[in-house]
Amino acid sequence: MSNDIDSTENDGENGIDSQKPEKMFTLKKWNAVAMWSWDVECDTCAICRVQVMDACLRCQGENKQDDCVVIWGECNHSFHNCCMSLWVKQNNRCPLCQQEWSVQRIGI
Amino acid sequence: MSSVRLGYGSDRLVSNSQTKKRHSSDEENPSSPLQSRNKKICLEAQKEDIENMDRQKHANFSTMAPNGVRSMGLGKSKGSEKKVLSIKNLKVHQVAAVDHVSESWACLKEAVVAIQESRKLRENLTQEDLYRCVDNLITQRSPAQLYADLRDLTETHIKSQLENFINSSGDRLIFLRQVNDCWTHHCHQMKMVGNIFLALDRGYVLQTAHVSSIWDMGLELFRQHILEEVIVENRCVDGLLMMIEQERGGETIDRSLVKSLLRMLSSLQIYHKVFENKFLMATEQLYSREGQRLMQERDVPQYLQHVEKRLNEENNRILHYLDPSTKRQLIYCVEKQMLNEHKTALLQKGLDQLLDQNRRKDLSLLYSLFSRIKGGLDYLCSQFNAYIKTHGKTIVINPEKDRVMVQELLDFKDKMDGIVSDCFCNSDRFVLALKEAFEHFINQRLNKPAELIAKFVDGKLKAGNKEATEDELERLLDKIMVLFRFIHGKDVFEAFYKKDLSKRLLLGKSASVDAEKSMLSKLKQECGPGFTSKLEGMFKDMELSKDIMLAFKQNLQNMSKNSTLPLELSVNILTMGYWPNYQIMEVEMPSDMVQYQQIFTKFYLGKHSGRKLQWQPTLGHCVLKAAFPNGPKELQVSLFQALVLLLFNTTDVFSLDEITSRTNIEDTLLRRTLQSLACGKARVLIKNPKSKDVNDGDKFIYNKDFSNQLFRIKINQIQMKETSEEQQQTEERVFQDRQYQIDAAIVRIMKMRKIIPHNLLISELFDQLKFPVKPADLKKRIESLIDRDYMERDKDNPNTYNYVA
Repeated sequence: MSNDIDSTENDGENGIDSQKPEKMFTLKKWNAVAMWSWDVECDTCAICRVQVMDACLRCQGENKQDDCVVIWGECNHSFHNCCMSLWVKQNNRCPLCQQEWSVQRIGI
Repeated sequence: MSSVRLGYGSDRLVSNSQTKKRHSSDEENPSSPLQSRNKKICLEAQKEDIENMDRQKHANFSTMAPNGVRSMGLGKSKGSEKKVLSIKNLKVHQVAAVDHVSESWACLKEAVVAIQESRKLRENLTQEDLYRCVDNLITQRSPAQLYADLRDLTETHIKSQLENFINSSGDRLIFLRQVNDCWTHHCHQMKMVGNIFLALDRGYVLQTAHVSSIWDMGLELFRQHILEEVIVENRCVDGLLMMIEQERGGETIDRSLVKSLLRMLSSLQIYHKVFENKFLMATEQLYSREGQRLMQERDVPQYLQHVEKRLNEENNRILHYLDPSTKRQLIYCVEKQMLNEHKTALLQKGLDQLLDQNRRKDLSLLYSLFSRIKGGLDYLCSQFNAYIKTHGKTIVINPEKDRVMVQELLDFKDKMDGIVSDCFCNSDRFVLALKEAFEHFINQRLNKPAELIAKFVDGKLKAGNKEATEDELERLLDKIMVLFRFIHGKDVFEAFYKKDLSKRLLLGKSASVDAEKSMLSKLKQECGPGFTSKLEGMFKDMELSKDIMLAFKQNLQNMSKNSTLPLELSVNILTMGYWPNYQIMEVEMPSDMVQYQQIFTKFYLGKHSGRKLQWQPTLGHCVLKAAFPNGPKELQVSLFQALVLLLFNTTDVFSLDEITSRTNIEDTLLRRTLQSLACGKARVLIKNPKSKDVNDGDKFIYNKDFSNQLFRIKINQIQMKETSEEQQQTEERVFQDRQYQIDAAIVRIMKMRKIIPHNLLISELFDQLKFPVKPADLKKRIESLIDRDYMERDKDNPNTYNYVA
């Protein structure tokens, strides 16, 4: 079973299992679980004081939780996208480090 | 007054002559042959008599003709009816008139005495003649004189009757019969006399004030001479009371006799004066005694039935012989003595028992009886409320009964609902009392009921629960929502519900998506969208994960075009924050699994920038193909079980330590995993030495001889099971959240008030917080906020706080 993956990965190393032709147990199906979160250094949005995993207060109020994503600046500080877009209208600096704000990436 | 009487009399005439069927309730006249003969005369005369009466009435109201030939006068005044009536009357009856005053009176006197003595009238003296005599006397002498003479005549007769009673030595019953006979005769006589003297009644009496009609005059005299005689009155009333008491004692009595005598008292207008009071007193005494005695002797249902019987009997008594005006007082008296006096004892002694045994009929009776007495229902209602509180508390409070608590609560609620709707007329106040009591007792034990309700729902929504159809499940959920509504600490419910829901979703154990969604919408309706938004997020994650897996498989196939994948991977991607927090742990997995996992991570992060993935091995589960010598099997196992089993592909025996180091599974979890594999129902491994628990140094051996009837074997139930640590963690998380909420509430209040005394702050907090808290907990949070410089104690007044901005 691993062979297929291995071959696609072009990885020569074989699993231990394959040494034994009569394997007693073979994995047929695997239901795995993973938790995703924003890859941020600080859990809380410094502008609205809500955790970045939750939608900002404005979006919670307008029931737009799904659209409330996170934005990273070049300084690697992160905020709710909506919070930051309001912030930069007044002050084009990162609220945490006062560096000139420039977007590194936006979460999707 | 007299005009009413007169109207009554004429009504009687009509009914006698025309229908004879309608027997007015006043007297039943035993008619001797003689009397009936008399009556015949009456009847013959009556037809004309009625016509006469009409005419006379008119005449009376016009001018009275002095010559006594009334019909002529009438003929003139009433044109249209003139021919028919006047001819008939004039011609037939213009026979020998009795003109003389004295002669007329003699005739009349003779007739009256004959009636009084129940004799036949003289043959040649017709009713017609007698009318004429009356007419003559009225016109030629004076009506007042005639009236006085008649009165004398009657008085003499009535006085003579008294002797019979004074000297009567018979027992009470005989005496009563005597009185009754005398009375009926009197009535009969007076009626006939009244018929003869109709003209007097219509003319003289009607027009003269302070003169009562002949009938009333008779009653007055009867009362004056017979019943106002103390001996007669007492014997009569006592006799009546005795008879009624006998009847209440269960004997049969001559009801018609009692009825007739009581009607007599009413007619004589002395019913209230001589009878009613004594009767009510006797009643009160009787039922007061009976009530006390029976409360001792009988149990409550029997007693209530007895009271109902008594009330019915008394009502019957009113229908059959008592004067209707007594009804209110009589019934009130019974209610007071039998119910009101004992209402406390009744409910204390009987209500719990009736409710326990669900005796609906008795409860309905109880309700209807208590609705009769003032404040009765209020009292019943408060006792009902108290019963629910005490009984409910026994369901809720005992930790040993936790397993059956919710089912018992549901049953109890059903039972009480049934009682309120069937027995208590669904009355609003009882519905409210029921709600209030449930809300009260269910919160007597903090947090646990909420937790158990959540778990109960989980049990019902879990796959494999086939006991209910969809409709039944829906109804059950509705009932559970009713219980849920009573709960104060809804956050506890939410936490446990969420934990169970996540297991149902992730392990694929949910019985029906429809049922899940329906429950969710019920919760949403009850607690608002804020309460369910995260739960809804969980369902959304499940949907999204499916889409992602589709895309991922597409991607894999593109990468390895010719090969099919023997291992099928599916990943559920959960949004952090929606789901419960799980322990983060790293485990050793076979390299192929690790690689597969990496491929997926790469794929996922390629699609979503700015995210990171944290794998949750505790929730993973797998299907293993197992090649046992006794036949191949498919094992449904948890990821941990799979990791352990996969080790045995290389060697047949491992020690606990070896397994630990090779899998890196946390100790308690590993022990539990091994236990499930080697000590459960399907033993894929053999533990050496054999025992129930996994101990240090145990060895595990691959079970070559494993056999099972089934091809697919589930061994991963342990994942569904809640461990006590899990339970504690969930609880702690709720309490942690509550602390934040308390902090936030305190700061909110402080920010608004700036300065606030302690007590006011506490009471405002109780208003704001939606979960149960103890004042001690609040104090701790206040202290903590003071430490963190959110607020401070006032320097002058330590009981007041200042907000520190």
